[in-house]
Amino acid sequence: MLQYILYIDPGTGSLLLQLVIGGIVTFGLFFKNSYKKMFSIFKKKEDKE
Amino acid sequence: MSFTPHESSFRDNDSVILNYHNEVIRVIYTSYQPHFEAFENGGFMQQLIKEQKLIPHKDITSEIKEIETKESIYKIIKPDYIPFISYPYEWSFSQLKQAAILTLDIQLEALKKDLTLKDATAYNVQFLNGKPLFIDTTSFEIYEPGKPWVAYKQFCQHFLAPLLLYKYGIPDAVKLAWSSIDGIPLTTVAKILPLKSRFNFFVWTHIHYHAKLELKYNSNQTFKDKKIVLSKSKLEAFLLFLKSGVEKLELPLSKTTWSNYYATFSYSEKTFDQKKEIVNQFLTNIKSDTILDVGCNTGEFSVIASKHAKQVIAIDFDYMVIENLFKIIQKKSIKNITALIVDLSNPSPAIGWANTERASFYNRTKYDTVLALAVIHHLAIGNNIPIANIVQLFASITNHLIIEFVPKTDPQTQKLLVTKKDIFTHYTLEEFKHQFEKHFTINSFEKLNDSDRVLFFMTKV
Repeated sequence: MLQYILYIDPGTGSLLLQLVIGGIVTFGLFFKNSYKKMFSIFKKKEDKE
Repeated sequence: MSFTPHESSFRDNDSVILNYHNEVIRVIYTSYQPHFEAFENGGFMQQLIKEQKLIPHKDITSEIKEIETKESIYKIIKPDYIPFISYPYEWSFSQLKQAAILTLDIQLEALKKDLTLKDATAYNVQFLNGKPLFIDTTSFEIYEPGKPWVAYKQFCQHFLAPLLLYKYGIPDAVKLAWSSIDGIPLTTVAKILPLKSRFNFFVWTHIHYHAKLELKYNSNQTFKDKKIVLSKSKLEAFLLFLKSGVEKLELPLSKTTWSNYYATFSYSEKTFDQKKEIVNQFLTNIKSDTILDVGCNTGEFSVIASKHAKQVIAIDFDYMVIENLFKIIQKKSIKNITALIVDLSNPSPAIGWANTERASFYNRTKYDTVLALAVIHHLAIGNNIPIANIVQLFASITNHLIIEFVPKTDPQTQKLLVTKKDIFTHYTLEEFKHQFEKHFTINSFEKLNDSDRVLFFMTKV
């Protein structure tokens, strides 16, 4: 497999952490945005009423 | 002409910093050419310079011919001169926070241009005109899709660790950066931080969980040969999470010994104004490039000094004092004061390889003038340092000296003697003058009203 050529040690744990937390945060953001979207739809309806 | 490599420049294989007269130049090797071109051609480099985030430089490749290096040279650049180099273990909370946000801002912007930072040490940031500035022009490299941020661990060790030590009220532990050249190890910070920090998702992630993963996988070969792939959008989300966490960090308000010094002050406002006037008068007589204000406190005298010199280095051992002064400097945009946490009785040592990688505090520059107001009693009585030793120190770092003698009868000195046996029979005005006159000529002196304190203006013999 391809190896990164680096001059500092990135730390395997540090790279794995980005993978795990990057996933969780993206997941969280998706829900946050969906919630906002839904909320904005309701808000618009309320405004029309 | 001879060029010597800069003492702190030897780790990076892509470029080297050379001392050049009193300034520095950066020699970039051909190995870095594709990365530099990607950085320069897209206009990103100019954008960062224009936004005052990256240090400006001049291309001087054609001007210098006689350099011999181990690799073939692609470019030689001369970055703008930074008059005083400070180190992260001398920065207060807000200085560290601003430097951290600058680094993450640059990384996030870089990612949009398909570039990334290959390192994230706090030594890549310096303070110029009261603001943080990124000084490593060769930290940028081409982003490879799928690659996580290799400098993430370094960022946590250099920025997050000390910031959290401040946040959780353990400021003395920030000095751990003295003992480990590449930032404070995460396993160490995880052990020092209080239990409640584990219940903060941001801190748990970047310190506790991070330290745990580090211990688990760093000696593990299974992942060594596997490529960890992280999409760009996930990496961006991760970096934004990191940045918003840093932005939310706040320093808890605490009254340290000195942060409310003037509120519990021993002499009247009128006398204080007189002192300001005398210091201003003394400073008018001296032509200074650099003034050092030791024990600067609220920085009232640093501000006066800033009108008489190109730059003022204001130091105090109290982190809250420097935090407040840094905020004042930025608010009033006084550009030529650098406020740093330095303890006169134990200043920053020389650290790193050969003890030359990061210079000691006194080895970084010479001063034209030193202001030592209301500090001598702390050194002589508070720290048991003989007056002769104090004279020697000042004589070795400055030409002119403005110093306040605080006698034993002064309420502030009396406070220091409350818990100490008075063994300081030599601490008198006569002895003070006698010792200082061995190395300095006293140009003038003035006694403060309603006080036995005397201000001296001296010049080295």
